[in-house]
Amino acid sequence: MEIADAVVIGGGVIGTSIAYRLAEDRNVILIEKGEVGSGTSGACDKAIFLQSKQPGFPVRLAKASKEIYENLQAELEEPIEFKKGGGMIVIEKEAHLDFMKEFVKKQYKAGIDVNLLDRKETLAIQPALSETIAGSTFSTEDAEVNPLLLSQAFAAAAKRRGASIQTYTEVTGIKTQDGKITGVQTNQGYIATELVINAAGPFASQIAEMAGVGLTIMPRRGVILISEKVEPMINGNILCSQYMASKHFTSKSEKNAPSYGIGLSLGQTESGNLLIGGSREFKGYDRKVEPHVLSAIAAHACRIAPALNKIKIIRSMVGFRPYTGDGLPIIDWAREVDGFVVAAGHEGDGIALAPITGKLVTGLVNNDSKSSDLLEPLKMDRLQVV
Amino acid sequence: MSDKIICRCEEVLLSEIVEAMKTGAQTEKELKLKTRAGMGICQGRTCRPLLEQIISFYTNKKIPQASNLTFSIPVRPLSLSALAHTGKDYKNEN
Repeated sequence: MEIADAVVIGGGVIGTSIAYRLAEDRNVILIEKGEVGSGTSGACDKAIFLQSKQPGFPVRLAKASKEIYENLQAELEEPIEFKKGGGMIVIEKEAHLDFMKEFVKKQYKAGIDVNLLDRKETLAIQPALSETIAGSTFSTEDAEVNPLLLSQAFAAAAKRRGASIQTYTEVTGIKTQDGKITGVQTNQGYIATELVINAAGPFASQIAEMAGVGLTIMPRRGVILISEKVEPMINGNILCSQYMASKHFTSKSEKNAPSYGIGLSLGQTESGNLLIGGSREFKGYDRKVEPHVLSAIAAHACRIAPALNKIKIIRSMVGFRPYTGDGLPIIDWAREVDGFVVAAGHEGDGIALAPITGKLVTGLVNNDSKSSDLLEPLKMDRLQVV
Repeated sequence: MSDKIICRCEEVLLSEIVEAMKTGAQTEKELKLKTRAGMGICQGRTCRPLLEQIISFYTNKKIPQASNLTFSIPVRPLSLSALAHTGKDYKNEN
């Protein structure tokens, strides 16, 4: 039997970020059923977008996270390929111009340096795009990071602080006594602890259930195409206004919404591979992607960026984004049992929000009043059906 | 000492693989995430068996019958436009 001050369940960007912060003054064990960063955090794009977030609290949260990113590489003493390359949202159809104009106005008010560009200005920045697009919004504040390196870096830094990272270890039960957490049972042994952090992403509901905690987080499947290495041809990261519509306005524009929740997300890695997304579907945990989903992603990308036509796609990757229903994660104590924290449900914003999530969880368990402002809107009971 | 190339697409050397194993990697997936071996245009067709042998040599584990790395479509490189035109629902995409 082992003893820990805290057990973090889940070794993706969220869990490793939390383990790193908690390990500062706690004896932490992180449990991961596979390898570090091999699930959702290893099947996502690399963008840290601010301008795609809803004005108001989501923007504030993303900004707080990005501030941590500014010095993260030096802090962790590991390479994470953080770069401020800027971000663009392409407006493909004239029909999207109005809501994007409105969106930019609100974003600007929220303190994000974002500008509306016409077709010519857009193509000057991204020559790979089609000449038929309507325009774009561009922000120099959007950035990017290598998500594979990010999980590894948080894990390595947590280890240096004394945390134990246990991979290939699956949680099989969570023990409680008199309404309090007393330990975690895994397939490798028992860990006595009074504090459990559920950072299991799309599997957070199953973990919560083991502790008798009700939690609804659904897996939303996302597929991204990966190309061969090519010369630099994309500057920073690109989304399309359809992505924005899929993300924020699905209920309003359902009639004309494309199949499989398609919306472009496009970027190029340091190695030269293009990441071309993506879809958003509720398919349970089914990893078998139907070929027509790939075709739909490819067709959408070809139309917006015809320069990509001849580029070869070498594989696809599938990730299950943890979906809460309102686009925000849950970072909160469970009501049903003492000592159980939920930090999951980041959906497509896990990379952007990983740094702040580690800090907020630490603030929560230390009862630090500085964090309460950002934690209030992330409480679990906001999602309860009234 | 003469080194050897294990993954030709990503130009990963044997010494880099061994170094990654020394720092904790024990599976093909971990090696892939750490060194990029198997992430290139051939998607591990050449280096997969080599990686399996290396892992077996250093961990004393048996070489698996089926690979631990997953395959994902498209199983061979396909241009984006060719991929776009293979789907039945292409017309519905707009």
